[in-house]
Amino acid sequence: MAYISMGEAHRRITDYLNNFSDAIAAQDGALLRHLVSFSFNNPKLLSVADALNVFQDVSRLIRNSSEMLSPLLRALQCYKLGQLVEAYNSYEKFANAFLQEFRNWESAWALEALYAVCYEIRIIAERADRELASNGKTPDKLKAAGSFLMKVFGVLAGKGPKRVGALHVTCQLFKIYFKLGTVHLCRSIIRSIETARIFDFEEFPPRDKVTYMYYTGRLEVFNEKFPAADQKLSYALAHCHPDHEANIRMILKYLIPVKLSIGILPGNLLLEKYKLLEYTDVVLALRRGDLRLLRSALQQHEDRFLRSGVYLVLEKLELQVYRRLLKKIYTIQKHKDPSKAHQVKLDIIVKALKWLQIDMDADEVECIVAILIYKNLIKGYFAHKSKVVVLSKQDPFPKLNGKPVDS
Amino acid sequence: MATNEAKQVSEEAKMDLFEDDDEFEEFEIDLEWDSKEEGKEVTQQWEDDWDDDDVNDDFSLQLRRELETNVAEKK
Repeated sequence: MAYISMGEAHRRITDYLNNFSDAIAAQDGALLRHLVSFSFNNPKLLSVADALNVFQDVSRLIRNSSEMLSPLLRALQCYKLGQLVEAYNSYEKFANAFLQEFRNWESAWALEALYAVCYEIRIIAERADRELASNGKTPDKLKAAGSFLMKVFGVLAGKGPKRVGALHVTCQLFKIYFKLGTVHLCRSIIRSIETARIFDFEEFPPRDKVTYMYYTGRLEVFNEKFPAADQKLSYALAHCHPDHEANIRMILKYLIPVKLSIGILPGNLLLEKYKLLEYTDVVLALRRGDLRLLRSALQQHEDRFLRSGVYLVLEKLELQVYRRLLKKIYTIQKHKDPSKAHQVKLDIIVKALKWLQIDMDADEVECIVAILIYKNLIKGYFAHKSKVVVLSKQDPFPKLNGKPVDS
Repeated sequence: MATNEAKQVSEEAKMDLFEDDDEFEEFEIDLEWDSKEEGKEVTQQWEDDWDDDDVNDDFSLQLRRELETNVAEKK
């Protein structure tokens, strides 16, 4: 660090404090946002942190500033020194004082700054938790940041001009709950957002709507509510800003298994452009009716699919693949002898599976076919004695048409 | 020793919870949004009429050959 004179240091700190009170006096949300955002490593802000280090007795200097500003300066100083736990504790004090002020401001001019506070407290908490964990202590700051954000939500969720910010905080909370693995906590906020008669969802800013739909869509995937997941993730996809390719990729990562489960395939271009090649073989397996390929694709990318929680969704595609294979056999028979095509011998299916190196006996195949009939994936009945599947002459393979497989 | 190891494992697992590989990126606060959704490439790349009766692909041709040899063997 370059040498800073006492005078220079003093000037920097005074400037910062003046800027802060000017921003509030002028209700300049954008300026205020810059003054509370540490994590963008704005050089000017960091130079204030360096200035604070010049003083032997920083606490005395800080004590003279307000209840809101002294913890903010303390947080800034610790942040620059890499003392994240201490930075978090101070930032949280500042954030609470700021929220108190924000509550009293009638208009929503400071929303932008509040968003920045919500973001910063989350990011600093994550880093503080890493520091705690590496020192063998219990990481509990991110959870604490979540409690603070719930308070913010309480301030915003009521009637009035600040309501428009409620979705932004919701999204920050989702990020925390997903990281902590406490997604059940999302439920009450979702209820509050979705049942509100006083505010139309469409009036929230697009970036928050897209983020909200991404996370609630993921929750629907976990709950296996595929039509709802499709609707939410498709909304996120359609409205996501095109410059944010990483976000588009994440939406697709969940939307693709959902679409597959309702019988809709992604084009190869999509898989290539967004580097989701782990789905290539899964899609091909569905097209072909290639059970072996589906199984090997699931095995090959097992870790990835398990981590994102879509493994079980993909595993259930097996039934669709069986159906497709059966349809191929039926079509091949039809080409040969249309009059007998609707009778498919179990032996034939066993042979086809054996060719795919899947060892199943006639009883097992019968069981699978029974499930296919029961789930409306094929229409027909079973001639048990002659070991033949008799397919309906009308529409033997009804399409899913965007509906999930019956459960 | 054994208990120590077990403890370590459980702590690692606990830390693993503090991960979400798919955390959505923040959109910049002053990003301009074009709310038009039509014509977006990503929303048009889906196929719902793939479940056709075509059996001329390699896979189907091989399947056909396989089924036919089976029949032949039986006779």
